Amino acid sequence: MKTPAVELRGVWKNFGNTEIIRGIDLAIEKDTIHAMIGPNGAGKSTIYNLITGRYHVDRGQILLNGEEITNQTPHEINRKGISRSFQVTNIFHRMSVFENIRCGMLWHRNYKYSFWNFLGRQGELNRRTEEIMVRTGLASRRDVLAGMLSYSDQRALEIAITLASGADVIMLDEPTSGMSHGETEQTVELIRKVARDKTLVIVEHDMGVVFDLAHTISVLVYGEIIACDVPQRIRGDRAVQEAYLGTEVA
Amino acid sequence: MAGLVRRHGMWVAAFAVMLVLPWIFQTGFAITMLNQIGVLIVFSLAYNMLLGQGGMLSFGHALYFGIAGYFTAHFLNGVGEDWLPYFPVTLLPIFGGLIGLFFGIGIGFVSTRRAGTVFAMISLGFAEMATALTLILVVFFNGEEGIQTDRMVGPEPLGITFGPDIHVYYLISFWCLVATAAMYVLTRTPFGRMSNAVRDNPERVEFVGYSTHRIRWLAFALSSFFAGLAGALHALNFEHVGFETIGLEQSGLALFMVWIGGARNFVGPILGAILITYLNSNLSDITDAWYLYLGILFMVIVMFTQGGLSGLVFMHEPIWKTDYRLFGRMMAPYALGIGSTIIAAIGVIGMFEMIYFLSTRVTEETIAVLYWMEVDAASALPWIACAAITAPGVAACRRTYPPMANSYNEAIAAVKGRMAP
Ligand SMILES: Nc1ncnc2c1ncn2[C@@H]1O[C@H](COP(=O)(O)OP(=O)(O)OP(=O)(O)O)[C@@H](O)[C@H]1O
Ligand SMILES: [Mg+2]
Repeated sequence: MKTPAVELRGVWKNFGNTEIIRGIDLAIEKDTIHAMIGPNGAGKSTIYNLITGRYHVDRGQILLNGEEITNQTPHEINRKGISRSFQVTNIFHRMSVFENIRCGMLWHRNYKYSFWNFLGRQGELNRRTEEIMVRTGLASRRDVLAGMLSYSDQRALEIAITLASGADVIMLDEPTSGMSHGETEQTVELIRKVARDKTLVIVEHDMGVVFDLAHTISVLVYGEIIACDVPQRIRGDRAVQEAYLGTEVA
Repeated sequence: MAGLVRRHGMWVAAFAVMLVLPWIFQTGFAITMLNQIGVLIVFSLAYNMLLGQGGMLSFGHALYFGIAGYFTAHFLNGVGEDWLPYFPVTLLPIFGGLIGLFFGIGIGFVSTRRAGTVFAMISLGFAEMATALTLILVVFFNGEEGIQTDRMVGPEPLGITFGPDIHVYYLISFWCLVATAAMYVLTRTPFGRMSNAVRDNPERVEFVGYSTHRIRWLAFALSSFFAGLAGALHALNFEHVGFETIGLEQSGLALFMVWIGGARNFVGPILGAILITYLNSNLSDITDAWYLYLGILFMVIVMFTQGGLSGLVFMHEPIWKTDYRLFGRMMAPYALGIGSTIIAAIGVIGMFEMIYFLSTRVTEETIAVLYWMEVDAASALPWIACAAITAPGVAACRRTYPPMANSYNEAIAAVKGRMAP
């Protein structure tokens, strides 16, 4: 079997005395789109936070391309190739849209802590920043301060910063929440394009989007994965229907 | 040449101003003040690398300013007494910068692990420690007397002796310009931008691959370099370094200059340094209540502006960039608002001056000089007069501020209207 891009082995997480994540085993194959669904409070965002180093896991292991990354710092994990977006918009408010996106790109284009490169002269860097800005539909907002953007533009910026790194594993947490129908469609198209040669993990409440995009889906309920399979079989799964989907998509 | 002017117009202009200033202000008093302004511009810009650019509030940044000053003074003395090899005085600011950098790297490593209140408190702790050390380590700091030095050491190339203040003026303004340009360039580098990012949202910074601690540490170290450079200039300027250069008051001065000038804009600290030093040199002779007014100015700016005086200027930037004719309609409301403020201030300041006079006088004298007039502060008349100016002034402010704000909002709305497709 191929090494999965991201793998969780028996991962547990408590907040205080409450077990929030209860023994998750999950393997996400390289270059596929994996969707994670489940009711509110099931622990989807928490799993993201565990994978990307925002929270420490209590028990278990997390691997990236077969290499253990359990409990490393967020920046170490990001450098190894996982880039994520946040459910609650997490951007640089007093910087322009352009600057925000460029910040997402700097480390990964090897600028590190350079205080000698004049940013205005970095043609390739700036060209790629513009490109992402265009692809995320933010070109007309180039010099607007991020804090001044409309909510849906901030959501788009959130995604743009995440994509800017060019990481191999992209994890999006409810990317389309707060977007209009049209914006959602554009975002789905963008995600599809971006995901062509990447591993993409997405948490999404819009089942249309999920079944449209995902190659595999895992269903999380109360911190446990009750099913993990291809979309067709998730649709037909009894337990899933009872626990979560109801009859809407059946 | 023409291209140079076009691309770097501001810098060329600053250079030209720097060259001609001593011809316009020729008095010794003015040169002394200009020298001090140059030193404090560097120091406040260094301070703003932390506060405005990196979001770190320090109460102890004078530590690096002061310590570099002491080292510079000792170095000069060493050269003068021939137990140290000669080093060009012109390059001593670099030496001061390296001293600042050295301490900044060491202390910064510890203090930048956390931001916010913890960082501020640690900076306060180090500042207190340093102040205590000036009294304990007498060999180095020489207690409250400080270190005396003589900048006229070594050879005198081209007749530059650094004896007259004007020589020092050119030394300081040269380094001021170089340091300002360097700090400006720094804001345009990956480090500079990530420093802004850490200020805005440290959490997200970690998720784009950067260690927030590393960025803060680097910002701290570089800022300490420039603070040290300013400290060396200070030592050369006064030929004396005292324990007050290292302590809370000097750090507080930087905070005042930066906040009053505006932390959000690169030129803010420059503006603050010029204004505060100017007022300090001129007002402190005229009135004893100068610190009170400085405190009031600081409070008003903190409470009513976003980004200090430069913030007030640059909030009009969208208007002059779109169409300066929009200012036409703002003239009258602005003039009325500013006029009312001045009237109210005249009344209030008059009363403060009399209170100060009465409470600080040593004789039974009650005749005070107020606004170039002799008034009897013990009689009712001047108080009534001041009240009679203050009351309508304040009333006028209340009437004229809303139209002033309105005219601004209307102009901004007009700008937005023109930008929308
Ligand atoms: N830092 C924290 N401290 C304490 N409890 C937390 C913390 N983070 C999450 N939780 C709890 O863990 C549970 C799972 O939260 P999580 O955000 O992972 O859910 P989710 O599946 O992403 O839900 P949603 O669809 O609403 O985003 C919730 O009950 C939440 O209250
Ligand atoms: Mg969530």
